[in-house]
Parts: sequence; C-alpha cells; structure tokens
Amino acid sequence: MAPVKPSFFKDPASTQNVRAILRVVILLTIAAASISSRLFSVIRFESIIHEFDPWFNFRASKYLVKNGFFDFWNWFDDRTWYPLGRVTGGTLYPGLMVTSGAIWHMLRMISLPVDIRNICVLLAPGFSGLTAFATYLFTKEMKDSSAGLLAAAFMGIAPGYISRSVAGSYDNEAIAIFLLMFTFYLWIKAAKLGSALWGGLCALFYFYMVSAWGGYVFITNLIPLHVFVLILMGRYSGRIYVAYSSWYALGTLASMQIPFVGFLPIRTSEHMAALGIFGLIQLVAFVDYLRGQVPSKQFNTLLRALVILIAIVAFSGLVLLTVTGVIAPWSGRFYSLWDTGYAKIHIPIIASVSEHQPTAWPSFFFDLNFLIWLFPAGVYLCFRQLRDEHVFVVVYSVMASYFSGVMVRLMLTLTPIVCVAAAITVSSILDTYLEIDSPEEPDPDAEHKKPKKEKVKEVGGSPGGFLSSKAPYIGIYSITSKIAVVAAFSVYLVLFVLHCTWVTSNAYSSPSVVLASRMPDGSQHIIDDFREAYYWLRKNTPYDAKVMSWWDYGYQIGGMADRTTLVDNNTWNNTHIATVGKAMASGEAVSYEILRKHEVDYVLVIFGGLLGYSGDDINKFLWMVRIAEGVWPDEVQERKFFTARGEYKVDGDATDTMKNSLMYKMSYYNYQSLFPPGQAQDRVRGAKLPAEGPVLHTLDEAFTSENWIVRIYKVKDLDAFGRDHFSVTAFEGGKKKAKKGGLGGRAAGKRGRRVLRV
Amino acid sequence: MRLLSLLAAFSSLLSLSVAQKTHKYHTLVELSSSGKGPKGTIVLTDNNYNDLTNAPRNYSAVVLFTAMDQRFGCTLCRDFQPEFDLIGSSWNKQHPNQDGLFFGVLDFSNGKQTFQRLQMSTAPIMMLFPATTTGSPADHVPLRYDFNPNDVNAAESVARWVSSHTKHNVTINRPFNYAKFFTMVIGIIGTATMSKLAYPYLAPALYSRNLWAALSLVAVLLFTSGHMFNHIRKVPYVVQGRNGGVSYIAGGFSNQFGLETQIIAVVYAVLAFSSIALCLKMPRIESAGNQKIAVMAWNLVLLVMFSFLMSVFKMKNSGYPFFLPPLIA
Repeated sequence: MAPVKPSFFKDPASTQNVRAILRVVILLTIAAASISSRLFSVIRFESIIHEFDPWFNFRASKYLVKNGFFDFWNWFDDRTWYPLGRVTGGTLYPGLMVTSGAIWHMLRMISLPVDIRNICVLLAPGFSGLTAFATYLFTKEMKDSSAGLLAAAFMGIAPGYISRSVAGSYDNEAIAIFLLMFTFYLWIKAAKLGSALWGGLCALFYFYMVSAWGGYVFITNLIPLHVFVLILMGRYSGRIYVAYSSWYALGTLASMQIPFVGFLPIRTSEHMAALGIFGLIQLVAFVDYLRGQVPSKQFNTLLRALVILIAIVAFSGLVLLTVTGVIAPWSGRFYSLWDTGYAKIHIPIIASVSEHQPTAWPSFFFDLNFLIWLFPAGVYLCFRQLRDEHVFVVVYSVMASYFSGVMVRLMLTLTPIVCVAAAITVSSILDTYLEIDSPEEPDPDAEHKKPKKEKVKEVGGSPGGFLSSKAPYIGIYSITSKIAVVAAFSVYLVLFVLHCTWVTSNAYSSPSVVLASRMPDGSQHIIDDFREAYYWLRKNTPYDAKVMSWWDYGYQIGGMADRTTLVDNNTWNNTHIATVGKAMASGEAVSYEILRKHEVDYVLVIFGGLLGYSGDDINKFLWMVRIAEGVWPDEVQERKFFTARGEYKVDGDATDTMKNSLMYKMSYYNYQSLFPPGQAQDRVRGAKLPAEGPVLHTLDEAFTSENWIVRIYKVKDLDAFGRDHFSVTAFEGGKKKAKKGGLGGRAAGKRGRRVLRV
Repeated sequence: MRLLSLLAAFSSLLSLSVAQKTHKYHTLVELSSSGKGPKGTIVLTDNNYNDLTNAPRNYSAVVLFTAMDQRFGCTLCRDFQPEFDLIGSSWNKQHPNQDGLFFGVLDFSNGKQTFQRLQMSTAPIMMLFPATTTGSPADHVPLRYDFNPNDVNAAESVARWVSSHTKHNVTINRPFNYAKFFTMVIGIIGTATMSKLAYPYLAPALYSRNLWAALSLVAVLLFTSGHMFNHIRKVPYVVQGRNGGVSYIAGGFSNQFGLETQIIAVVYAVLAFSSIALCLKMPRIESAGNQKIAVMAWNLVLLVMFSFLMSVFKMKNSGYPFFLPPLIA
C-alpha cells in the first residue's frame, strides 16, 4: 500500500479500516454501475443474443450444457459448411462456453435453474465488473489505490470496452478483457516480487485467456517485449528471470492443451518472440551468474563475444526454419497489422470485415472521450518514476495505440491502458489540488539556501533527473487555484459520465438482430424482420434443408432457424466462401449449377432498399465479387460490375453483368410492383430503378419479410419434362402473369403493419 | 501459253505480297529488338501504328496507349510502364524473333492523331490485336484490357491475359533487383558502421529518459489522432471547398483529412501538456503569486482547448448533444 500523506486525516493508521471499507464500497458501486450501464438493450428490447458471432457461441453453449463437456470437445458439426462440416470442438476457443456452462451448473447446484440464454446474455456485464476490479489491482501497482479506483471507474463505463460487452454481446471479448487485465496484473506482481508462485498464477490465467480469445497473442508478445526492453535498459534482475521463465514455460505448455492452439506456440512466427526472449533471458542469466563468479576482464570480453555469437546463431536458425517452412510465417491477419496494404490486395476476406478497417480520430474520441488526451499525460507521468512496471505501461501504450489505429476492433485492447494512464493523471492532479493544507511561502532570505538541500533529496528518488520535476515539490498556495482546477476536472468527469451513458445508450445497445426506429410521433417502432424470417425458415422448411446466404448470416441461420448453412462467420475455408460469392455474382445458368451441386434448397438475401437499411447484401456485394474473383479470376471480374465511368450502380445504368447476377435479381425481384409504374426507388442507394424488374428462371420467391429486409427464395427442382428452366419460363409466359397478379396483391405495399401472415 | 503467263504473273504477285509481308515482319522484328525504347517493345508513332495493327496480320500485337508526360498527371501510366517493358523484354529474351507476338507503346505525344481517330480520352488503354490467320471475323476486333490499379504484379496479370487470348504462352522473368539488393547491403553496413562510430556520442541521448518519453508521446499522439487511417486510406491533406475556400475538416464521422488529424494531434498534445503542467510544474513554483497566475492560465488553456475539441467533434457528429461552454458549435 502506498503511503498516504498525513495531511488530510491527521493519523493514517487510525483511519485504515475506514479506508478499506470505503474502497470495498466504492469498488462494489463501480461494479454495479458498470453492470447496469450495459443493460440498456435488455430493458429496451429483451434478453436476446446480439449480432452474428454470439449466435454461434450461444449455440455452442447450448450444445455444451445439453451434451456435456466431452461430447462438446469432440463435436463434429455437420449442419454448417455443408457439405464439408466443421470440427467445431477442435476449432474454437472453448473458454467462453465452458465459463457459462460452469456458471450454469453452479447455479443448478444451489437450486437456481437459470436458462442458459440468460447466463449467456448477462455474462459480459457480469465480467465487466470483474474487469473493473482487475484494472483497480493493476493501477494500484502503478501508483496507489486512489488512482486504482479512478481507473476502475473509467474502465467500468468507457464506451471502448462497453462496445464489446453490453448484455447480449456474448462474444469471446466479453471475458477476454478481464483475463487480459488480470494476467497483466499477475505479471506485474510476478515481475515485482520475482516470485514463481505469481508467475505460475500468471501462466494459469494466460491459459484461461488462450482458451478464450485469439487475442491472447497480444499477451504472448507484450510480456516478452517488456522483458526485452528491461534487458536493453540494463535492468535485468533475478526477479525478472524467475517471473518470465515460470510464466513462459508453464504458460506455453498449458496453452498447447487447447486443441485449436496445439503446436502453434512452437510453429508460428507470432509466438517466436516469446521463445526468443526465453532463450535470451537464459543467456543473460548465465552471463550474469558467471560475471558474479569470475571477475576477470578478458573473460568478460570473451563471454560477451560468445553471447553475441549464440544470439546470432539462434536468430539465423529461426530465420532458416521460417524460410524452410518449419515455422509458419505470420498468418495473414497478423501480417496485415504490419503491412497495412497487404490484406486489401491478397486476402479480401480479411479486408472485407468492417472491424478490420483503420480507425479515424472521431472513433477514438467517441470511445474514450477525455481519457484520450489524459492518456499521453499518464504515459509521461510513468516516465517520471519509470520503475519496471511503468516500462510495461509505456510499452503497452505505444503498441496498443498503433494496433488500434490500424484496426478499429483493437480499440478494445487500447481501452484498458488508456483508463490506467488517464487515472494516473487525474489522480496526480487531484492529489496535488485536493490537499487542504497550503504550504508557507518561503522566506525570500532563506530562499537560495533551502531549495538546494531539498533538490538533492528529491532528485535522489529519480536518478538522472527528469524534466518538469527537477525543482522541489512545494504544493499549491492559493485555495482559489485549488478550487478552480478541482472544479474544472469535476466538470470534465461529469461530462465523461454523460458522454459514456449517451454513447452506450445510442450506439452500442442495439442488438442488430432487432432494429429500432422512431415513428414521426416519437414513439419507438421495432423492426423485427430477421427473426420473422428465421422463424419462418424454422417452421416452414424441412429440418435438413440447406440454406445458402452470404457468410455474415450463417451463424444467425444456424442459431435462430436451426437449418444447415453453406458458409458462416467462421471464415476458415476461403474457397467455399468464394463458391457462394460466385453463385451470387454469376448469371442464373452458372449459379443454378452451383446451387444444384451443393444441394441448396433455399437462398437467403438481405435487402434494405425499401427501408433504407444500409447493411444489406447489395452493399456487401462487391466483396462477394472480390472474394470470388480471388479464386476464379476468369469467371468473375470486379470490373464488370462497374459502369464505363467506374460507378457502382443498380439503376438503369447498371452493367449487364450486374443486372444478370443472381444477387441483383433476388434483391429486386418483384420490387417494382410495390410502386406505381416507373417509380420504383432504392432508398439505400438513392437510385431510381428501371421500370422492368428482373425475371427469375431458376428460383421461386418463398418468403419476404414485412419490411423486405430478408428475402428467401426456393431453388426450383429440375423440370419434370427435362427442359431447362429458361425455356420453361418462356413456355409458361401466360401462366406467369396470373401468378404475378397473386404476388402483386401480397406485395401491394400499404398493408397494415401488424397483420397476421400465414 | 497465255495461261502460263497468267500463272507466272499471279505467282510473282503472290511472292511479292509474301515478300512484302515478310519484309514488314522483319521490320517489326528489327524495331522490336533494336529501335528506340527498351528491348522487346516497339515505340509507335502515328506513322507506323497502322503498319503494326492493320489487318491482315499473321502475328498478334499488344499495344499500350499511354500518356507519360508529366502534364497529364497519369500516375497509373507511369506505374504500369516498367511492367509493360518487362513483359516485352521477357518475351524478347525467350523469343528473339518475336515468334508472332509484338508489343508496342503509343505515347500520346507521338500519336495525337491516332488517339483522336480512335476517340480515346483516357489512358492507359491496352489492346490486343489477334492474328487474322484463323479467318474468324472476331479476330478483327481488338480486345481491351481492364486495368486493376491495385495490382502489384501487373506484368503477370497481363501475361496471363495475353496467354488466354492468343496461342502464345507468355511468361515473365523478373530480373533480380541488384540495385535494391546492394543498396540494402550497403545500407546495413553503413548503419552498423555509423552506429559504432557514433555510439560514444549518441549513448547519452540513447539513455536519456526525456528522449524516449518524447518519442513515446509522439508515437501515441500520432496513432491516436488517426495517422494510420491517413496512411492506409491515403486521404487528401485538405480539400477545395464549394465556394473557393479550403475545408480542413471532413464531413462525416468516419472520414478525415490530413490537416484535420494534425490539428487534433496538436490539440491532444496541448491538453496533455497542460495537465502535466498542472500536476508537475505548478506545485514546484516558489512564488505564490506567480503560481496562482500560472495555475489559472493552464486551467484556462485546458478548458478552451477541450471546448474546441468538443466543438470539432460536434461538427463531425451532428447528433452529439454535449458541449463545453466557451465554444459552442
């Protein structure tokens, strides 16, 4: 515990208990605040799983509690990636599901049978309280417990973290950020004390982290980097050696127990830094030991040469192994962090994900508000003392800033350190300005004698001296200055709380499965097309029907409709995704063959043209084309989807390739019948559509949701007379009109909003 | 007799035309391997453009229409030219007699009339004139290549394209880049020597905490103000506004300009340093009067800057409800 200045309370010892109780109460309040601020979506909508990936995690958790752990471990899922299937048990990070499964069993044991869905929905808010606590512990090691409390409060409500942990956002990050912070806390503790126990605990939580999130690689590289910087600074010590060796050896062995990770820690470049530093620290320890035993100068020189030689040999060995392919080179996702142009050219599937886009500055401010400018100040304050643990904060800050700038998604790893650094700044300022006792103004006569002595004392604390803290500390004289600064910062803090609440409520609390819009009179209108369509699939199609859609909706179809999908959000097979892309981007003749070959029964598209929902498939279409082009450059060409003037159009000027593509046809089929002739309009792209709508030969419209967001088509069976579908539609020209009349009546538009549909 | 003379006349005509053909072919081969421009490509002008492309052809020709002059500002032309030269030289190396495939470049400054005649208003354009020996009418229509600006190995893509549309199999031999290799080796040796020599002088700076603090802060400020976004998306520095003015701030939440991020970085820096000043510098001022003024001044700077930041943010995100007093946008 950091020493408390005796000015505020006369005697720190007597108030120790009060302080401890206060701390506990404050931490509990912070936990309560951080949980409750994440419940907006549950209160506004209902207890529902959000977005895309959480649907898979939810489905896996249900499987786990239903079939038990060992079945889960060996789970082969034949209802995704049809016809390939997926070895799910061996290709997922099981930490999240096992955690919620354990909670579920625990609650049952104390006779509280809670539905697994509610546990999944509320897991992220629950863990956010723990994250706040872990941040408190971490910051306490950096400065003192008051800074820790501030950091916990910041962490609890910072939108950068809330964005991934609102109720219902049942994703790996929900528990991973807590594990990240707690592992770092244990690492700092281990490095400070040089204790193998803390190092072992750190390895244990590292193992938990590895089992929970692919982002564990951040820890795998940050801790070695910290050690490396410490060695370069000449701060090697036995404590570091014990901490690192115990963490690396135990942590790596433990992490290899996860089937999905397996031998990656010794086979891939992402993990080589940790291995290299492990070797280096053994060398350094060896030299350090010998230096203590043999004080001869010549021997030292020889030793140094030896060390450099070994290092070079080891390094070139690594390079050789990488070149010969024993060690896999950087995987695309990590490589694209360094070579930022790489993904766009070589791996469109990575570049297509919106979370992988670079971050514009408003996002930083949106997610962190005033913490973002307190952050550099906090890093600077860390340089003032620069103990081993402060080096960690500096290294973490620089690396995380870079990563979050390259990828929006990694804002999540930046947020904790921003909260810590900002808390250090704010608490330093408050420490200074909240002191009630004012110093005496020094006697002008004694002035030139006294400071010198104090200076020596002060500088002794930080060797080498540091800008802006060379002069002795005196304190603030005027009570007005104190009040002004404290008042200003109180205003900023209040503003921060308001900002966080507003951001959470407006930006991060939408389940995206259910959309909300405002009616003209201000009342809320819920758009529930997705669930409507998935429910239709569940109730009206055979259990083994295969549904093709773009990969974004794979998990949702699996989770909500419980039907077999061709591709889903676990994008492990690029060729299979490209096949779906090709089917969507080609003309009907080509597509039909692909659909038949994959035994597709239904095709699902998302269309936002009527409602103005911009996340629809036509807007994602270019990525389908690009991914398909990556595999079949001769058959699908992105260029052909652009007009001669290089524009991406859906109206009359659209290219023939565009108009003939399955995606275009499915999106706009029958859409014209909603409008008076020639007035059809696409509200997302602001385009006026041609009067004549597309004609479908090989698909039948099966279902269109209330606001036309989800459209489902049934793939026609082969013609009973062996004709091809194009001649069938030509032949049945007359019949088709009658059918169209029926559909027109259904789609005539101005139907009442809540009419029952059969 | 009469028939014989007719036959003789006909055969001489035939041989003449063949001679002409072979003559033309030889000229083209000569132009390819010697001539101006790099080996393997023919530098075309208005005069000899028709010689190369007019039917009948017993060879295929790939023609690049380009505009290399600085005035046209065609970066794609300049980026693509070395790739095109590489295709030509690779083909020439493997087939010294060209073997029925020619590569030609027509620059706008050499072929204004041709550009006008073909009604080309953009560059670069690349066309493939297939041989007219098969007799199908499709051979008379040249094929057009679609450029992909992001293609790093454009030569390979073009080679694939040519191979798929002609009977020739074009492969690319990328020459080993000796210049780059030696620059790198010399660079490494130079850096090593320099650091060895400069070490005694640089060592104090290397161990200076202030230097490292400054470097870290600059890095943090750079990254958190969206520099990587500029780098990846290649955003413009400023943009000419509607009514003649210059707009510094991009409209829209996920958009930004170069100058805008610099302004933001400076604002962050000022804010961070005023908070550092408040917590480190102020309590070390000895005179009470000075201290009071300084505290108030830094406090004010902080307030105004933060208020400015909030107003800029509100400009980007019009739905944002909060503001801080002095500046209300």
